[in-house]
Amino acid sequence: MGESGCGKSTLGRTILRLEEPTTGEIFFEGQEITKLNGAALKNFRRKAQMVFQDPQSSLDPRMRIGDSIDEALLVHGLGDEKERWRRVEELLKRVGLEPEYAQRYPHEFSGGQKQRVGIARALAVNPRLIVADEPVSALDVSVQAQILNLLQELRDEFKLSYLFIAHDLGVIRHISHRVLVMYLGKIAELSPTQEIFAHPLHPYTEALLSALPIPNPHLKRERIVLQGDVPSPMNPPSGCRFHTRCPKVFEICPHIEPPLIEKFPGHWVSCHLHQARNVVGEERPG
Amino acid sequence: MSDSRPPVTLMELVLRYRRRIFLLAFLLYLVLLGVDLATEGRILPPTAYAYLLFLLLLLFYALPPLYSSRRLTRYYWERTRRHRLALLGLGFIFLLVAVALVGPFLTADPTRVNFKEKSLPPVGFSTEQFTFDITTGQIVTKETPGTWSHPLGTDGEGRDMVAMLVSGARVSLQVGLLATGIAIFLGVVLGIVSAYLGGWVDNALMRFTDIMMTFPFFLLLIFIVYRFGQSLELIILAIGLTGWTGTARLVRSEALSLRTRDFVVAARALGASGTRIVFRHLIPNTVSTIIVIATLSIPGIIVAESALSFIGLGDPTVASWGRTLSAGQRALDTAWWIAVEPGIVLFLTVLAFNFLGDGMRDAFDPRSEA
Repeated sequence: MGESGCGKSTLGRTILRLEEPTTGEIFFEGQEITKLNGAALKNFRRKAQMVFQDPQSSLDPRMRIGDSIDEALLVHGLGDEKERWRRVEELLKRVGLEPEYAQRYPHEFSGGQKQRVGIARALAVNPRLIVADEPVSALDVSVQAQILNLLQELRDEFKLSYLFIAHDLGVIRHISHRVLVMYLGKIAELSPTQEIFAHPLHPYTEALLSALPIPNPHLKRERIVLQGDVPSPMNPPSGCRFHTRCPKVFEICPHIEPPLIEKFPGHWVSCHLHQARNVVGEERPG
Repeated sequence: MSDSRPPVTLMELVLRYRRRIFLLAFLLYLVLLGVDLATEGRILPPTAYAYLLFLLLLLFYALPPLYSSRRLTRYYWERTRRHRLALLGLGFIFLLVAVALVGPFLTADPTRVNFKEKSLPPVGFSTEQFTFDITTGQIVTKETPGTWSHPLGTDGEGRDMVAMLVSGARVSLQVGLLATGIAIFLGVVLGIVSAYLGGWVDNALMRFTDIMMTFPFFLLLIFIVYRFGQSLELIILAIGLTGWTGTARLVRSEALSLRTRDFVVAARALGASGTRIVFRHLIPNTVSTIIVIATLSIPGIIVAESALSFIGLGDPTVASWGRTLSAGQRALDTAWWIAVEPGIVLFLTVLAFNFLGDGMRDAFDPRSEA
């Protein structure tokens, strides 16, 4: 998670090789994928798929939805026409749509239904990983819940992993096992979901979490409101990228970039407050 | 495309083996063309080959999609139908096509000169004509009424106006359709390639388009016709080869915006090849734009041909509207109908295509789509 423009979508797309990374490596199941091409890349495409934010534009308006799903099978040569069509109908049924809908065009569906079609298309090639780029943020709240539940069911049924990009804390808490907080293209914090919601380490995470509404009106919590806008990612601030807006900024922040360290087992953070040597009583957040 | 049921109707069978049938037909076409080129005597005139190709493509790649996505077709038809002027335009175009197809077989020979019946007015009008009477040696003024044997009158050389207009319709439609076909084809190919490949290819192609656009198109046409001769085929080719610039730009911009749409990204994520994305996603989604540009550019091209003929650079062997118009212009004060009649038909034709194009643009406009 992270605010708009911090690079969540770019990261997701780069992992799928839809955008070329400028530097660095990406490993998927032990395989370096930034150098893949040809048959190897195509093979990788069967393992990693994507679900998009806007169901409206994620389906070709001139294709019957059956053909949109079928395209996945066709491209990878999975079965002859009959087999593929049967699989399309099966997939539609699995995501909660009628098999007859395969003959219809996207404009005949609601947003939630289109999102289901998008999920069916991603599932068609039996992927291991699905990058879901804010798959519910364009939907009504009631439909959001349905889609989230569907995603969870499918995860268990098909042994999928999701890379779930979101900025809705409630959604993240509901679906994620691990949370990665990004700020301006860098990792701020990475932790199991339970732990990050209970004990956020990075001041940015704290600020984000303080925006989560509490269902108890008698409980008061201090709201941390960040000042200013996100600085330009083209020209990020020196040192720690968050220092321009951090409520707990101190002298070394603008000069040295904090490394990502494993503060607790499985809980990584990149902040000078939590560097091993800087753990000073007064400065630790309560 | 795919269906688990076995094919039942003939149409479904054709749809299923469309590509194979098309290739077969295309092969036959090439054989015919080859034989024609190899032998001395022509079996078919060159434009007929262009038409055949046009027809083949229409038959196999324009009609089947309309049929297989009947509901979408009906949807667009309903939307176009709401536009009364567009419907009127379509009716007129159908009439014109029918006239151009069968008319020349029914009317008199448009090239037959008959000085005994020169400058006859249309039915219901009459003019005074001066003739030199050999027996008396005097000039006589004679009141000549229009006759039913030439309902729209005759021109200064006694040619039947109906026949000339009908053959002019054929010329205009030929030029309009074929030149537009060439221009649209080039425009779509260049536009899509430019948008899809991007980078320096895009730059090179678009700068070339700019150059073509700034070039005075009409002067270029005049030069080509002047340099290489005045044949209808050449005029069609010249108009087609210069008229693609607007299409290229529009298709490029359309494809550029489509390329970043999620469904194209999704196709890439699925591992679809570039050709597949271009042919299955980019082109089908630009089709409505292409149809509209085509319809709207036909009248311009018809007018261009008429203008060329008007200034005397048309094909002298065909009776195009422009040529008749220019001939009639010189006799405007004695025989107004020679210029006015082709003028009216030309005007109506251009109007009809424009109405139809406007109607279709409204029908296809994605902003008004539900």
